[in-house]
Amino acid sequence: MNFFEKLQALDRRWIYLLVALAITIPLVVVFDSKTYTTTPTENIYQLIDSYAGRDDRAIMIDFMHDASTMSELFPMEVAILRHAFQRKVKVFTICFLETAAPLVDYAINTVKEEFPDIQSGVDYINIGYKPGALYLPIVLGMGDDISEAVKTDAEGRQLANLPMMEKIKNYNEMNLVIETSGSGFGASWFVYARPRFGVNVAAGITAVMAADAYPYIQTGQLVGILAGLKGAAEYEKLVDLFAIHDKPFSREIARTTHVSITDDTVPYKFKAARIGMNAQTVVHILIILFIVIGNIGYFIERRRNKELN
Amino acid sequence: MKRQIPLALVIILCFLFVGHTFIPHKISDNFYQWWLSWVRTMTSFAVVLGVMSLFTVHWGKISRRMPNWQYSIVTLGALVFTSASGFIWGTQQGTPYMWLFKNVQMPMSSTMFSLLAFYIASAAYKAFRARSPEATVLLVSAIIVMIAQVPIGMAISKWIPEISNWILNVPNLAAKRGVALGVGLGGTAVSLKIMLGIERTYLGSGD
Repeated sequence: MNFFEKLQALDRRWIYLLVALAITIPLVVVFDSKTYTTTPTENIYQLIDSYAGRDDRAIMIDFMHDASTMSELFPMEVAILRHAFQRKVKVFTICFLETAAPLVDYAINTVKEEFPDIQSGVDYINIGYKPGALYLPIVLGMGDDISEAVKTDAEGRQLANLPMMEKIKNYNEMNLVIETSGSGFGASWFVYARPRFGVNVAAGITAVMAADAYPYIQTGQLVGILAGLKGAAEYEKLVDLFAIHDKPFSREIARTTHVSITDDTVPYKFKAARIGMNAQTVVHILIILFIVIGNIGYFIERRRNKELN
Repeated sequence: MKRQIPLALVIILCFLFVGHTFIPHKISDNFYQWWLSWVRTMTSFAVVLGVMSLFTVHWGKISRRMPNWQYSIVTLGALVFTSASGFIWGTQQGTPYMWLFKNVQMPMSSTMFSLLAFYIASAAYKAFRARSPEATVLLVSAIIVMIAQVPIGMAISKWIPEISNWILNVPNLAAKRGVALGVGLGGTAVSLKIMLGIERTYLGSGD
């Protein structure tokens, strides 16, 4: 058995070991890497930023996933919440999956630790879990009156009595819905709520689903997407670059400025996606190497078989 | 009667919902609100039914010592313990329910999902071959998109992300839109067949 035949017959456990090392080492030994922002991510950031400091504008994050896709989606939820809390943008959170309810709580508390002034009911409202059967009635009902469509928040308080609702009634004020999902990309929001009420819809999705979302970005049904860990890393960078320093957003600055992740001033939880991208970089290179080596072996073997025949 | 009543219910309700969507009148809206109260009630019953079904199935496995009955004990134990922790101490931060979520559900779910990376790597090595021109196009596209997704892509050349964007925004978009249109038209056709009583397989087999 020559070298290439040995490579072709390589035990897959060696591949698993290499992948495990390629993932774990970059997570433990953090190195600096550049994050390049893209238009779909910048669009979401810019829209949220335009609501800064306004009592009559709000965004909603719909947590449409469970813990399995957390590694990709949780950093983007944390980054959006951090942006909103820093820039005083009102936030609603909701979920229609019972397994997502603890995630919402976890995300809010993760960010809130750094923002002691942020108050539930004043700066954000966690609507919490609502049964999936009521998904469509709530999506449509919010177009008329949010506090009628969902009467209580996760703590059982009447929405209508909460201070944040004073200037917020429906999609005219809560004008951006971001669905973070491992299985869809905000389809119900842009199919039912956008054409009827004009609400802006964005999606935070796993990388494998990103290709499905492109037709809806082109039509404008989605204002933007955060595609997988890369999208989360881009958003983290934008928050660090602009929101944290109260600077106005600029695409040119975003695309040309590097933000270091080896700097200890930013807590790990706010750069988790960028650190994760280091691991993803190494794994992508490894998989490409696997493909190339596998194909070299395949062609050599094929040529040899032809010669023998 | 077992087929005719459900069939009549489906047809009548289908037309009523279509009417509600296209005719925004007080009567149709009142009907819709009345229907929503039914949905809320039925959803609650569905939860009870689900829990009862889970208990019946797994209790049967345990009592008859069927193969792998031990796992049923874990399932029922997890159901009782998780529900009880939520009912007794609530589900907020700092409660046993949240502890279970962070220390049991989160790592287990993430582990299952992360297995994908290992399978993809193995499949890429063992099966992703340029056996035909079509497979070669797929392979080259995959490599470009993969390398463009990570920072090193831009570091190598600014053209890699550009080409990746073109792949995603032109051929990918066209194919996805074609699929979406096909699914949409197919869905509309099946809906019409159900509304008109032509498609009846959802009622089950039999007379």
